[in-house]
Amino acid sequence: MTSQTQQTPASHLFEATGVTCQIPSENGSRTIFEDLNFYVDRGEIVDLTGPSGSGKSTLLTAFARLNVRTSGTFTVNGVDSSTMTPQQWREQVSYLPQTSTLMGSSVAEAIRLPFTFKVRMGESEQSAEEVLPDTKIRAMLDSIGCSDINLDRKPRELSGGQAARVSLARTLLTEPKVLLADEVDAGLDPENADLVGQIMQEAAERGMGIIRIRHRATDHRATRMYELAHGQLKVISAEDAEQGGEA
Amino acid sequence: MSGSIASTYTVIDVWGLVLAMVMVCAAAGISVAMKLGVARSLVWGSVRSLIQLLVMGIVLTYIIRWNNAWITVGLLCVMVLAAAQIAMGRAKGAPSGMIGIVLLSLAVTMLLMITVVVEIIIRPKNWASPELIIPITGMLLGNAVSALALGLNRFFDSMRERADDVQTMLALGATKWEAARPSIRNSVKLGLLPSIAKLETSGIVMIPGMMAGQIISGESPFQAAKYQFVLLTGIAALTLVADAIILALVYKRCFTSYDRYLVPPPAPALSLKTLKSMFRKDSLKHLLEHGTDSATKSADKAEK
Repeated sequence: MTSQTQQTPASHLFEATGVTCQIPSENGSRTIFEDLNFYVDRGEIVDLTGPSGSGKSTLLTAFARLNVRTSGTFTVNGVDSSTMTPQQWREQVSYLPQTSTLMGSSVAEAIRLPFTFKVRMGESEQSAEEVLPDTKIRAMLDSIGCSDINLDRKPRELSGGQAARVSLARTLLTEPKVLLADEVDAGLDPENADLVGQIMQEAAERGMGIIRIRHRATDHRATRMYELAHGQLKVISAEDAEQGGEA
Repeated sequence: MSGSIASTYTVIDVWGLVLAMVMVCAAAGISVAMKLGVARSLVWGSVRSLIQLLVMGIVLTYIIRWNNAWITVGLLCVMVLAAAQIAMGRAKGAPSGMIGIVLLSLAVTMLLMITVVVEIIIRPKNWASPELIIPITGMLLGNAVSALALGLNRFFDSMRERADDVQTMLALGATKWEAARPSIRNSVKLGLLPSIAKLETSGIVMIPGMMAGQIISGESPFQAAKYQFVLLTGIAALTLVADAIILALVYKRCFTSYDRYLVPPPAPALSLKTLKSMFRKDSLKHLLEHGTDSATKSADKAEK
């Protein structure tokens, strides 16, 4: 019964199988996509493009197991999501929405928010301020080119580009294994957009697996590129990606 | 026999009631003359109030006269059921199927009110004394119904408004409780504001109803004041308890399996149309799952 002739393939950092999305409508339910598979390995940046409404955000929120309309099997390093709590899963697979929602009365407080959650408290019983003092936040923001952002500012006073970078910093500080970035550079000027791309590239070099939804022309940072259209995932080559860049 | 002051209680006769209605009609006349539009509801509300209060007065007269613990308990059950039904009717933003939890929350607080306030604090000679238990319970339930309806409405509305915040918090690893807490906090605070306002203004700005009633019936104002204090604090504390119980039991309704965010649509308002459609099986199923059309639209919007 035991045949050890075949080695089990090394598991991907993140793998999704059989991902399906169905939305209820007047005549029953409508299938957005069905039985899709996806994977990301350590240090990879995978880009996902496609027409509006094709379900790219839906796919990403499905990966983070946030979407009530989706189902599928998801693993990180071979460990299935159903064997852990939703909080433990989302600690490893972090979804970064397109519109940054910063909660708190200051930038520092907004960035500390994830560390006030039980899933990150652990046994050390340290408060969020102890785990992430202002100095650490300042150093982190400076290292990703955000020295223009004051820690005491109210989040709603930030510009779109600044808010997007703070939102990205907040997620990066939680050090997820997989980052699901939903059009984070949308509406940013080219300089800010490139900065965001650079920040993600550095995170990937440290071992993070990143999936980006993008609409802009390729910035050549991705290791693989896909297009999601009419419920199908299609690999696209670098030349096809050059033609991208519509709103 | 109570009170050190000789009884100065003056009964209101039929003419008194008639003149009160005349006063209401005069006010209604002003509304008509100035086209304010409240004449009908004012008159109708007054008529309802007259009938309801007099009926309650007669019922209570007999219940106090019979002085039977079981009958008293029976009336309390009726009051709690009526309170739960009124609270559900007013909580328009809440989904269907909540009546059990509302009933539980009100019943628990009512029992606490009777045990702590009546039996432990006041300590009447007759523990089942209806003239004490029923009015006090009535006041508590009236307050709790307002606070619960307000709290429930506010909670579900808040969870719908905070859709982006909730999704972001969940994505960052928050539990259901952590993601819902700002809405819960908001709702409890709102539900408790009237009670706290009453505590702050009683005595300086106004004499509350219970105290005024006791003074009118000849009781010493000082004794009346003590009763009022016990009642106000009891109601404030227990309203908080009722609100907290309900929200702690109910916040999970905004999440599905694997802690995913989904606010159920508001319960369909009971109108003739919805009642008629309930008799068609497939539309009943659709109604219960998706609520009314406008509710579905806002629910779908919140899910995005």
